[in-house]
Amino acid sequence: MIEEELFHVLVNIILNISIYLILSLSLNIETGFANIPQFGRLTAALVGSIAVGGIIGRVAAYLAGLPIGEEFVRNNARLVTEVNKYLSMNPFVSASLLILALITAVLLGTLVGLLTALPALRLKEAYLGITLLSFGEILRTFVYNYEPIVGGTLGVMIPSFFVFTGQYEVFASLLFIVLMAVTCIAIAERISKSPLGRVMKAVRDSELAIQVYGRSVIRIKIYAIVIGSAMAALAGALYSIFPLVRSSRADAFDRYNWTFLPWAYIMLGGVGNNLGVALAVIVMSIARSLISIYKHEITNYLFNIDATWLEFILMGLVIILITMFKPQGLMPEKPAFTLPKSKIEEIRKRVLEEKATS
Amino acid sequence: MLVIALTSLAYASILAIGCAAITLLYTSTRVFNFAHASMVSWGFYLTFIFHKLTLLLPYLLMPLAAVIVGFYGIVIYLSVVRRLIHSKASEITLMMVTLGVDFVLFAFLNILIDFFYYNFKWDIKNVNIVLRDPAVISIAGSDIKAIYIIAPITALLLLFLMHLFLTKTNTGIAMRASIESPILSSILGIDVDKIYVLAWFIGGVFAGLSGSLLTMLMQGSSTIGSDIVVMYFAGSIVGGLQSILGGLFGGLLVGLSERLLSYSLSGILPWIYSYRFVIPLSMLVITLLVYPRGLAGLVERK
Repeated sequence: MIEEELFHVLVNIILNISIYLILSLSLNIETGFANIPQFGRLTAALVGSIAVGGIIGRVAAYLAGLPIGEEFVRNNARLVTEVNKYLSMNPFVSASLLILALITAVLLGTLVGLLTALPALRLKEAYLGITLLSFGEILRTFVYNYEPIVGGTLGVMIPSFFVFTGQYEVFASLLFIVLMAVTCIAIAERISKSPLGRVMKAVRDSELAIQVYGRSVIRIKIYAIVIGSAMAALAGALYSIFPLVRSSRADAFDRYNWTFLPWAYIMLGGVGNNLGVALAVIVMSIARSLISIYKHEITNYLFNIDATWLEFILMGLVIILITMFKPQGLMPEKPAFTLPKSKIEEIRKRVLEEKATS
Repeated sequence: MLVIALTSLAYASILAIGCAAITLLYTSTRVFNFAHASMVSWGFYLTFIFHKLTLLLPYLLMPLAAVIVGFYGIVIYLSVVRRLIHSKASEITLMMVTLGVDFVLFAFLNILIDFFYYNFKWDIKNVNIVLRDPAVISIAGSDIKAIYIIAPITALLLLFLMHLFLTKTNTGIAMRASIESPILSSILGIDVDKIYVLAWFIGGVFAGLSGSLLTMLMQGSSTIGSDIVVMYFAGSIVGGLQSILGGLFGGLLVGLSERLLSYSLSGILPWIYSYRFVIPLSMLVITLLVYPRGLAGLVERK
């Protein structure tokens, strides 16, 4: 019994870490590298969830020979159960649907990134932040009320794409999500060291200087938003297909969890530093999960005050104290080396030798 | 129809007061105040709690609630914002830090609610005292509630007082000067820091007042502030974030369009009422795309 409980705690913590890792890194690319106040992180994440629940869910139903129109939303629970039966008999189909789902999510994320970037980037600072926030709220209100997309207030269930792994479903999907998170770290690090990433950081440091060097600031910012949104859509999609969640609902994508928490994490970890962000995500996710798991015990200690509020106080204080006393974050950003240190050393030696011989 | 129009007007006036608060803080200290959400919630709940304790008419208790939230403003400025302004933090950093303040204020409000809920067994998780609002007169069979009159009059009165304060008093003129150019005004012997404290106090009072007036119009829980804070943001940005007058007008416009416009359109398009949040937000986006500095850019004196 205790082992089972521990397993659930661990699953919860690892899922939180992986999803927030992808989300925070995506935000770091936009905010940390290119200085875009992305207060609408939930837009792309919600789009990723819609891609899985609204589009690939229907594709799966179509393949299983079930209705995909109005019926799909109205009798969703029954239909998805039947889709799951079909998928469990066709492991190959479910695996390819999983890949297709993630590709769709990333493509739709790219598209929505482009759509928000084009009109929004004429604005600056607070205006831009609030506009991006409003885009998120508009999309969320719309999806929440418009049933044909993902069932409006009730949401839709998502077929189990990992059903072919049998009793190891939770474990396999968790492993998959962790792998995706690690890939995202690698991608974010690669971007950080690439010419594109360095131009993004230059835009952040001085737009004027970059214009002088003949680069288009708007274009760089669009790249940042598009890459960030694609990544955030992936996070939304992965969260939605996890076996213990397996649903797509607009109200699950709230401002606190899908925009403000990633902001808190990147501020804590160090704006612009991927590894710092990863560290902050791991520490804070564990803290949050522990608070939510031991809620009742903490509540009893605290004269019946609900432990949920402790989480808010913790997050608030982290943001306030970090911005006031350590604005660089836990791990301040360092200049990115494009080559490994050993290689730089090697080149230096060679140059010195050449000088000595000549 | 009359009641709908009056409700919309009252709601719009309440929004306008809050938008004036956001605009004032942005123009004076460059802080786009995310903590506004919780300050509104605090005003909302303090009025309710005082009403529960004293059983007086809520209107009499609103000034007290608003002043308390005003003191929160002072505390936020002195403990957090001042230090960051001195270290020349960017607008985004200032926004983020008020978000942290928002979380803390929200948590403490809920702790207070839990305290009354568990220790005094108060039915407090939801505020619903709309019906305590007395009807003033009755026109054509529909009751005219006091809030329909009080909210617009309060907004007008605040507008008038702020205008008097900013143009006729020394402190007000000093405040305008500090908004225009903090360095120049400090050379002229104005204590800019004190002016900022005052601005945060007024901002807090307005936010609190906006929240406490809401008790007479809506029912809600501790999340009421964050539920409608996007409307406050939309109103202040449509107003241009440049003058308090603009903020008031922006709030009025957003409030009226959310309520009145969606109601009148619902005659033709019955489904539109669920999407009423989308109308003001789309308005915000369109305004910004056409006039990137808000509507105030149109009337700005050259």
